[in-house]
Amino acid sequence: MSAEEGVGRERRLAVNEDWAATVVGLVLLVLVLAGVVPGWLVP
Amino acid sequence: MAEVEARQRSGVWWAVGGIAVVVVLGGLTRYLEQNVPVFTKGTWLGGIAKSVEYPVYAILLGLLGNAVLTGLGFRDRLAAGFRTEFFIKTGLVLLGASINFAVIVKAAGPAIAQAFLLITLVFGFTWWLGGKVGLEPKLRALLSSAVSICGVSAAIAAAGAVQAKREQLAYTASLVIIFALPSIFVLPLLVDAFGLPSAVAGAWIGGNIDTTAAVSAAGALVGEEALQIATIVKTTQNALLGVVAVALTAYFALKVERTGDAKVSGRALWERFPKFVLGFLAASVIATVFLESGGDKAVITTVNDLRTLFLILAFVSIGLEFRVAPLREAGWKPIGVFASATVFNLLVGLGLASVLFAGFSG
Repeated sequence: MSAEEGVGRERRLAVNEDWAATVVGLVLLVLVLAGVVPGWLVP
Repeated sequence: MAEVEARQRSGVWWAVGGIAVVVVLGGLTRYLEQNVPVFTKGTWLGGIAKSVEYPVYAILLGLLGNAVLTGLGFRDRLAAGFRTEFFIKTGLVLLGASINFAVIVKAAGPAIAQAFLLITLVFGFTWWLGGKVGLEPKLRALLSSAVSICGVSAAIAAAGAVQAKREQLAYTASLVIIFALPSIFVLPLLVDAFGLPSAVAGAWIGGNIDTTAAVSAAGALVGEEALQIATIVKTTQNALLGVVAVALTAYFALKVERTGDAKVSGRALWERFPKFVLGFLAASVIATVFLESGGDKAVITTVNDLRTLFLILAFVSIGLEFRVAPLREAGWKPIGVFASATVFNLLVGLGLASVLFAGFSG
């Protein structure tokens, strides 16, 4: 893997992590607010 | 072909193993954070144990795990599972739920002013100093972005913008973490020593510490309001990352490499915009609407516990990711530039936070 490819890969990964974190965070929030994830389940 | 597939499969298993290490150490952090004060109650250690919070246990356990795994020769293979950026960003999206949207709107003015001034001044200083000591332009761009905006994510964005070498990125990321680790503990101590109000303390921490994860750790050590303001300021800086990355792309294409091929478009800006900022804002709006329409406040406590879990995983990953080797290879000049820029950032940041956030109340 060349340096450019490596940097490109890192950047794509960072972009994907951005969306993944946004989706996971919001889904968890909605599940908790809707009462699907109760308080006792979160240590 | 089969060999490549087998290698990819084993890479996935190592990454899963890495995530398992992070989760186990995270569980241990939660256990220690909740139980050490109980175990030591009434002894001379009780007072200290009570004031030690989860970022401290998480980072120390991460560093300890790092030493053990490096000793066993597994660390580099497991590293794909140490996803600091993902854990911290998920934690920050959840943090949005604990901040009333009105506070974000109120803090937006001073936060944007501080982020804009601080990025301009600190980037300018680091770029100038890097030029004075003769650093290579791409490394200058990486160091300036990392120290003035948001650490590792900024370095990644800048590396993409200026087509930096992989080693330069690894090197800058190591510098960011080496400087961020002590600042997690030093800044809250200075906040105490200076007697700063929590909003000013939060703005100072948010504007200074390079990595978003470390900002949350230091903010959490100072208190909830400081954590909220620190996050708003840091998130604003994150949001400006796209602008700097696009400006760097244009500058390198037109001035440094003279290819004449500068992609300055709305699309390029959007590509580099950190999307989790939208999640953070959305979470704040959702939670504010939920509470205003009579929702149960206790439910937000569960969201806060979830947020703490993700932040713990992020801090454990910081400890696990820490590496000294890339620094030895690059010599003292970039370290000197980064250290000077950090001190400059501290001073200018304190001045700006004191002026812009004086009398701020959420």
